[in-house]
Amino acid sequence: MSVETVESAGPTPKKGVSILFGLTLVGLLVVLWLLLGLATNAFWTPNNISNLLRQGAMTAILAVGQTFVIITAGIDLSVGAVVGFTSVIVAWLLAAGVPLWLAIIATLAIGVLIGAFHAFGIVRMGLPPFIITLATLTSLRGIGLLITNGSTISITNDAFTTFSRADFLGVPSLFWMVIVVAIPAYVFLHLSRFGRYLFAVGSNREAARLSGVNVNRTIYLAYILSSTCAAFVGLLLASRIGIGNATQAEGWELQAIASSVIGGTSLFGAVGSVHGPLLGAFILATINNGANLLNVNSFWQRIITGLLIIVIVYFDQLRRRGAR
Amino acid sequence: MIGLQEVSHRHDEQVRAAGGRSVPKGEPILELRGLQKNYGAVEALKPATMTFLSGEIHAIVGENGAGKSTLIKLLTGVIARSAGEIRWCGETVDLATPNEAIARGINAVHQEVVLCPHLSVAANMFLGDEMNRRGLMRKRAMTGAAQGVLDDLGFNLPANAELGSLTIGQQQLVATARAAMRGTQFLIFDEPTAYLTRQESAQLFRLIRRLQGEGVTIVYISHRLEEVFELADRVSVLRDGTHVGTRAISETNEAELITLMINRTIEQIYHKEHFESGEMIVETRGLSGPGFRDVSLSVRAGEIVGLYGLIGAGRSEFALGLYGRNPVSAGEIFWQGRKVAIGNERKAMDLGIALAPESRRDQGLCLNLPIGVNINLPVFKRLTRGLTINRAEEASNAERQIRDLKIKTPSRRVLASAMSGGNQQKIVIGRWLSHGAKLFIFDEPTVGVDVGTKAEIYRLFARLLEKGAGIILISSYLPEVYELADRLHVFRQGRLVASHDYRAASHEEVLAQAINA
Repeated sequence: MSVETVESAGPTPKKGVSILFGLTLVGLLVVLWLLLGLATNAFWTPNNISNLLRQGAMTAILAVGQTFVIITAGIDLSVGAVVGFTSVIVAWLLAAGVPLWLAIIATLAIGVLIGAFHAFGIVRMGLPPFIITLATLTSLRGIGLLITNGSTISITNDAFTTFSRADFLGVPSLFWMVIVVAIPAYVFLHLSRFGRYLFAVGSNREAARLSGVNVNRTIYLAYILSSTCAAFVGLLLASRIGIGNATQAEGWELQAIASSVIGGTSLFGAVGSVHGPLLGAFILATINNGANLLNVNSFWQRIITGLLIIVIVYFDQLRRRGAR
Repeated sequence: MIGLQEVSHRHDEQVRAAGGRSVPKGEPILELRGLQKNYGAVEALKPATMTFLSGEIHAIVGENGAGKSTLIKLLTGVIARSAGEIRWCGETVDLATPNEAIARGINAVHQEVVLCPHLSVAANMFLGDEMNRRGLMRKRAMTGAAQGVLDDLGFNLPANAELGSLTIGQQQLVATARAAMRGTQFLIFDEPTAYLTRQESAQLFRLIRRLQGEGVTIVYISHRLEEVFELADRVSVLRDGTHVGTRAISETNEAELITLMINRTIEQIYHKEHFESGEMIVETRGLSGPGFRDVSLSVRAGEIVGLYGLIGAGRSEFALGLYGRNPVSAGEIFWQGRKVAIGNERKAMDLGIALAPESRRDQGLCLNLPIGVNINLPVFKRLTRGLTINRAEEASNAERQIRDLKIKTPSRRVLASAMSGGNQQKIVIGRWLSHGAKLFIFDEPTVGVDVGTKAEIYRLFARLLEKGAGIILISSYLPEVYELADRLHVFRQGRLVASHDYRAASHEEVLAQAINA
């Protein structure tokens, strides 16, 4: 045999290379932290670290949900709008006197419905994921603004609003929420058969279908998970800022996609992991945090983020090609 | 009759690029001296010394993985050699990039057409070499010129049609015409007839002979030895990355070539065992659906039912209808005597139907996923314990198929895309062996598969029949269905037009029924 049998270190959802790439990202994160620690005294303070973990947490959760969708070779542009919209929903429900537990469940259920609607548009109406999620991106913000009549709804429930500021075992509760999402997400994507189906659908829909994989159900699953993660982040955001506001979380969908891609997810589908987007999100959060500490103009932060996406994805491509 | 190459206004440049000299017919135009390619420790091509003569049709045969694709990639500048020398028209050349190869007049036509399906035939033929006047494209002139070439070749294709609306065979002809227009001196065909109908193959052969007549040197790679004998002047054989010999076509025969290729005799290839036919597995009555009408046939345990016809005759469509992939509009299906409705693929699988589809790339494999995942795809449910997949069982299940089917890979983690055609087919088959089935549908199982693997697949059929399964074998390659099928059905334009028992009709008769001659 010739080239055919050369072990190509490809994007397997399993051991080996994906872990190695994960480690490079961990290395990058550690280097960033060490450099920032040297450059500024304020970085390694408990306060700042807590702050960093809070900042990264919400993007990280969005990015994990987004990754499920991207693995199926789709995209979910609506997640930022879903965050803003669900922050309005939970604030509205609480203002209407709905008990907290019910408000949370209802908000998450709205996330499920939005995801199901996306999948319906893709599977039944044959719309490209880009289009259907772009449509909900704009309409959800509109519905949210209609509900609030363009203003914000304050949240007076103290139990809800103190949650995001609380610590547990010295770690911010928001970061615990990342772990609460990431562990089941890991089990789902890497250990359960549904994870395999996501990869199979992203790699070759027809082959998956002819092998008995329920392709439509898999697509429903991916978009529902993404929107539900976004609704969950909507709850966390509402808790953190104490209001419901439909214009919040503007552009977070791009942060989520960027985190996912930095974390090694391929926009062509069938390549991705759970730890990748988590690392990606915290690398982005570190850069923003560090730039703030160093008094770098926030406009520069955007430019740096853009350059970083290019550099990291470029090196990822090189690594994949080199492995052939 | 205008020469093809006159159409290209770039032709003169290319002759200059090629050194401005042409090599007299019969003299060496391309020489390989100790050409070698290693990937790490793997020797894809062991030092090869070969000579291609100007104006000849030189066939290259060998099993998949024998080094043919490596050789093409080296000659077209796609990959860099590890050692050795390439001499073009007597001088040493780098051939380091595809552009250099094209500039020297070396071109390849690939089995899978690599053109733009949304552009017109003419736009594709002129792609990258458009006719311009003051920065604007001369669309009408190009369409006219392209039509001229197509008409001249007797292709009967409209130059303004969208490429994607043509059959794969017709697209192949366009790709060939495109290469021919570009002042090519050395043209490599990589299994061009794999997806072609007979008429299309015949047209392609005419084109190849014509190019030869205009002085183009042709390298022709094929698994079909009868084509080699029909077309080639000389033939070179590769085996396991080694060039084992070159023969003049007049001084060799099929048996010798096969022995050189695989060290095995021809009788061992079409392996056929007859079994007592048992219970009725499936029967269709007047089944109709998209692409097929009123098809009634049955399959019993222990028999192979062959479906022969041209591409597009409705055989694959029938299979997809039976498998629940496409909706059935009329007719009935009886499974082991009981009337059933097969609404989706899962239902078909649960009954015990397995389908190895026509196109491995489009329907069969998740190419950028590991072999193991591809094999286990239908059985992940069975491998699940509670919430998660049992990793040990997942591994052993994949590895058993890799071992049993002799899939040549260092690990189940290698991506399916890295495998040769024969090994890819084994992955698809392994998937269904591991799932288990009562009725196996094999749609073109040996397209792009080497002789050795073919023989293995045929032996596997016998093993399946022995265990009481039934097989539907769909093939456009008559000798295959003819030698293997216990009952042979001929399809034409979506209908079942004739049926024969094992070897009851002659090749010519079957062929005539398929093309309505």
